[in-house]
Amino acid sequence: MGLIIIRTTFIFITLFIVMRLMGKRQIGEMQPYELVITLIIADLACIPMGDTSIPLLYGVVAILTVYLLHQIVCIIDLGVRGAKTVLSGVPSIVLNRDGVDDTQLKKNNLDVTDLIESLRVEGYFALDAVEYALYEAEGTFSALPKKNYQALQKSLPVVLVDEGKFDEKNISLCKRDKGYFLDVIKQLGGKNEKDTLVMTVDGAGKVYWQERNKKYKVINLDWEDPLW
Amino acid sequence: MVRTIISAFITLALLLGVSFYEASYVQNKFDEFYVSLHALKRKTELGTVSYTDGLSLREFWDDHKVTMHIWIPHTVLYEIDYQLDEAIGLIYVKDLEGALPKIEVLLGLSENVPKGYTLTLGNIF
Repeated sequence: MGLIIIRTTFIFITLFIVMRLMGKRQIGEMQPYELVITLIIADLACIPMGDTSIPLLYGVVAILTVYLLHQIVCIIDLGVRGAKTVLSGVPSIVLNRDGVDDTQLKKNNLDVTDLIESLRVEGYFALDAVEYALYEAEGTFSALPKKNYQALQKSLPVVLVDEGKFDEKNISLCKRDKGYFLDVIKQLGGKNEKDTLVMTVDGAGKVYWQERNKKYKVINLDWEDPLW
Repeated sequence: MVRTIISAFITLALLLGVSFYEASYVQNKFDEFYVSLHALKRKTELGTVSYTDGLSLREFWDDHKVTMHIWIPHTVLYEIDYQLDEAIGLIYVKDLEGALPKIEVLLGLSENVPKGYTLTLGNIF
């Protein structure tokens, strides 16, 4: 037992020193390679701590090697032009003045629902309330709202069509049927729901509709009373 | 940037230094152990070996072992301890024919353990 206490203390001190040397980014928002290093280091530290048949030095040397690799990647990241793009990635503008950029979403393994969720976390509920939205290389989300964004999100929008498929639950929430919304799509210049990237409607009947690779359109349906 | 480069060089130097020292230290210690084992084997073959010879070898090994725990997985050292104790036990009961294969195993281990620390493709993968 005493052995494990000493070994754990030793590994803890080594890890602590190495993490401090790696800098603040390692404990905050991480680049992809930094996340990899953190995951490896955690595992490397555990093995010699728990298994007393392995020399402690093996853990220390492995941690120092990971530290060395981290420093090398940092030198390349900071010193070589263009390396940052390969090592850390670039920000992805997933929503612009034309609407949702499906290509950028797919590049980052995201879909429209993920984008809407990220927007909601930032306090923006309508897709047309935002001028630009982007995912930073380390995964954080930022959005630039339109000047009058508060006027554009008076009621909570729900998704009716998500990447070519109707959401039955939300359609029933609107107390209308699919046919009604297919007519709306045709009225906006679309053929059917299959070519639709995203279609949302809020309680007052404001529809946000966007066909794949085209600019979004917004119309107000003549609903007598707000539904929610 | 300068600090990063310096720290990278220091770490690299430290790691390379430790690696070379480990390889040479383990090789030297096992070379010395091999020579002592070989002498014990010769005496066993000739039938002149005594229990005291076995105890001297164990003492020699115990001295080496203390620092080798830093470099070698402890299970490898336990295996050598086990084989050595068996060989000494057999020498004690004058079963020299039984002791010889044990000494042979120890000779094999003394040759092969340091090889596990050399930079070869087989060891890396």
